[in-house]
Amino acid sequence: MLFAYLSIIALLVVLASLAHRDAHIRHATVGRQAWQQIAPLLIRLPLALLAASFLAELMPQALFARWLGDASGTLGILVASAMGGLLPGGPMVAFPLILVLERAGAGTPQLIALLTAWSCLALHRVLAFELPTLGWGFVWRRWAATVALAPLAGLAAAWVLALKG
Amino acid sequence: MTGFFLVLGVAAGALLAYRQGLPAVVEALFGAGELMLIVLPLVVIAVLMAAYAQALIPRDLAERWLGRGAGLKGIGLATLAGAVTPGGPFMAFPLVLGLRGVGASLPICTTYLTAWSVLGIQRVLIWELPFFGLDFVVLRLLVSLPLPLIAGLLTQWLTEPDGV
Repeated sequence: MLFAYLSIIALLVVLASLAHRDAHIRHATVGRQAWQQIAPLLIRLPLALLAASFLAELMPQALFARWLGDASGTLGILVASAMGGLLPGGPMVAFPLILVLERAGAGTPQLIALLTAWSCLALHRVLAFELPTLGWGFVWRRWAATVALAPLAGLAAAWVLALKG
Repeated sequence: MTGFFLVLGVAAGALLAYRQGLPAVVEALFGAGELMLIVLPLVVIAVLMAAYAQALIPRDLAERWLGRGAGLKGIGLATLAGAVTPGGPFMAFPLVLGLRGVGASLPICTTYLTAWSVLGIQRVLIWELPFFGLDFVVLRLLVSLPLPLIAGLLTQWLTEPDGV
């Protein structure tokens, strides 16, 4: 946690001082751009976290433990990959939902497979950005090349965890 | 999207109160509040950082740099560039479009997008670290390191099966 804060603050300081020396960049313009992205988050993020927190309490834990728990193994990794591929939305939607699954007892390799599938396949991103801008020729090749990555990451994670004991 | 979360939150909260009573709702409220205090300042700082990065890195420079890259060296460069590209799809996709425009190959673009997806440093710092902790993040990044390379090579094979 502290690490996340320190590294992101360090990056901000470095970039801001670099920008300070560049005569073309105005701090006010950068600040305005950032604010445009932050403003909607100030309401949405608390709501998303609240909804996720309630949902976590409502989840049938036994069901999730069976399908996505540590003991679910390779089948769980495949199930998680499929779920991740279908999970819509950006990080603000996905991460609170994935947190719900973690609290409901999903295993680490399964979560890694889910996160990888969500970020690589990203159905919502394909529809909103990739298809309109890059076309089918690009999309089907990229999908074919990345569809196996999520199970691969999950299996590799399970292997590393098994090595560690 | 705000409306969606509002409805979801109210419905889930009401159901929780109905099934487990008010104390469970209050407990969940405190849990969400704690997480928010951790994540929200981080998100604000990170967005500001990304705004500076976008102002500093001219797009044409990145395009010139990646557009020429080919083979394993190009894939390595694309992986690195994807990992450090800040911001959401609004930042990454115009860059990919520009890359295609200056003649970057399909495998390079796939590698770049995959690296941005699975190794993106900004997403790790803002979302993953506070939500899942350092152990989880280190393990996930470790197993994800080869993925952009695999995606790039597979795309190359799909584009010109005989050329590899």
